[in-house]
Amino acid sequence: MDKKNFLLEVVNSIRDNKGLEKLSVINETDRLREDYGFTSFDLAELTVKVEDETDIDIFEDGLVNTVGEILAKLEE
Amino acid sequence: MTFLSDNGKEYCYEDLLKALNEGKTYYPYYKTSDVFSYFVNLIKALAASQPLVLLDSDINPSEIDGLDESKVNVTEPITPASLKNMDEVVAAVQNSQSEITIFTSGTTGQPKKVVHSIATLTRAVRIGDRYKGQIWAYAYNPTHMAGLQVFFQAFENQNTLVNVFNQPREYVYQQIRDKGITHISATPTFYRLLLPYEQAYESVIRVTLGGEKSDRHLYDSIMKIFPNAKINNVYASTEAGSLFAAKGDCFQIPEAIKDKFKVVDDELLIHKSLLGSSDSFKFTDDYYHSGDLIEWVVEAQGLFRFKSRKNELINVGGYKVNPGEVEVAIQDIEGVRQAMVYGKANSILGNVLCADVVLEPGFEMTELDIKKVLSSQLQDFKVPRRIKFVEEISLTRTGKMKRV
Repeated sequence: MDKKNFLLEVVNSIRDNKGLEKLSVINETDRLREDYGFTSFDLAELTVKVEDETDIDIFEDGLVNTVGEILAKLEE
Repeated sequence: MTFLSDNGKEYCYEDLLKALNEGKTYYPYYKTSDVFSYFVNLIKALAASQPLVLLDSDINPSEIDGLDESKVNVTEPITPASLKNMDEVVAAVQNSQSEITIFTSGTTGQPKKVVHSIATLTRAVRIGDRYKGQIWAYAYNPTHMAGLQVFFQAFENQNTLVNVFNQPREYVYQQIRDKGITHISATPTFYRLLLPYEQAYESVIRVTLGGEKSDRHLYDSIMKIFPNAKINNVYASTEAGSLFAAKGDCFQIPEAIKDKFKVVDDELLIHKSLLGSSDSFKFTDDYYHSGDLIEWVVEAQGLFRFKSRKNELINVGGYKVNPGEVEVAIQDIEGVRQAMVYGKANSILGNVLCADVVLEPGFEMTELDIKKVLSSQLQDFKVPRRIKFVEEISLTRTGKMKRV
């Protein structure tokens, strides 16, 4: 699965649990906190789930804000 | 002078005074998400020396042992204090004989009651001209020890509180800018959410961290964001309130209370005279086992460093979770055979709560199904963020492989 679809799936699993509607597409400029409504607990869940699949801690060097920044981390 | 700024609403100290003198009732057990009403009720009870039980706004009363749910949000008569000005209100609070009950996460499941007096809650409060005019970012849950500490420090000096608890980053920065915030006291998790550095905020002159272990990277970033701030660390607990402040990356036991501490097997023991009271406290020769493991840096000066926690509580973004309590809740779900709850190290929260679950043969359920059940029974921070379905439980709580 490509990285963007994988991320979409993780984002949706978190949104689903918060009672928010699922997204059909995510964009590089989307902001995790402002656009997705993610709290610190949601961001932590995101890091764990991404780390499970990729062994990459996307927040290792401080916080990232956008989908694009996560994808860049996954490309490293 | 503004007392509280909360989500676009401003309350000045005159509003507070008016609310305090209004009405002949208060709530001994009050559950509300309205911070102003919560503070009014708190001060009302204290000024009249009435008992008060502080409940989290999102708590399910059944999570607390021995709490009569029918008492929650029911008023009791009170003799109005008829306080003429804020100095009288502050004096009444300082002389309060109230018993204030707060809850700690216990080591055996249910939250434990701790009863405090105004003296233990305000031990660390400093009052005086140099503390006037401060504008505080209010970043803690107001019913928890840390939130009470910040509240009393600001209130007794008639400072301004700006509520930013659980607010997103943009909002926090906007409040710092618009309100000219000078003081912030929060968990390391709160500061991590302000990262990465984008611009400097010069109004902030004091930054306090508490609750969890913080790291060098975080300190460096905070110094960039708040270049004019002095950074300090506090050690406070639900049991004892605020005890000592940091010196560099160490803590120092103040000379005046030096004889109130002992260290046995690396564990910090605290004399009972410094604590609130609770049936759950166990003492050895009048000393309480804090569960904090420390090492001396300079023993003669009372200078020490924290190493780790002795008990099993998992610190999730400053909240303490008892894994046993969550395991019981999961195992109560029909179709679950066994559950193991543990913390996984995480750069945002310190730990993320995870669960491994073994299902009974023939049952099927999803992560979301389990989370939904748990959300109806437990506070949000106790709900595991990652639930894995496994054939058998093979991990210990720290995530290490269990040796057979």
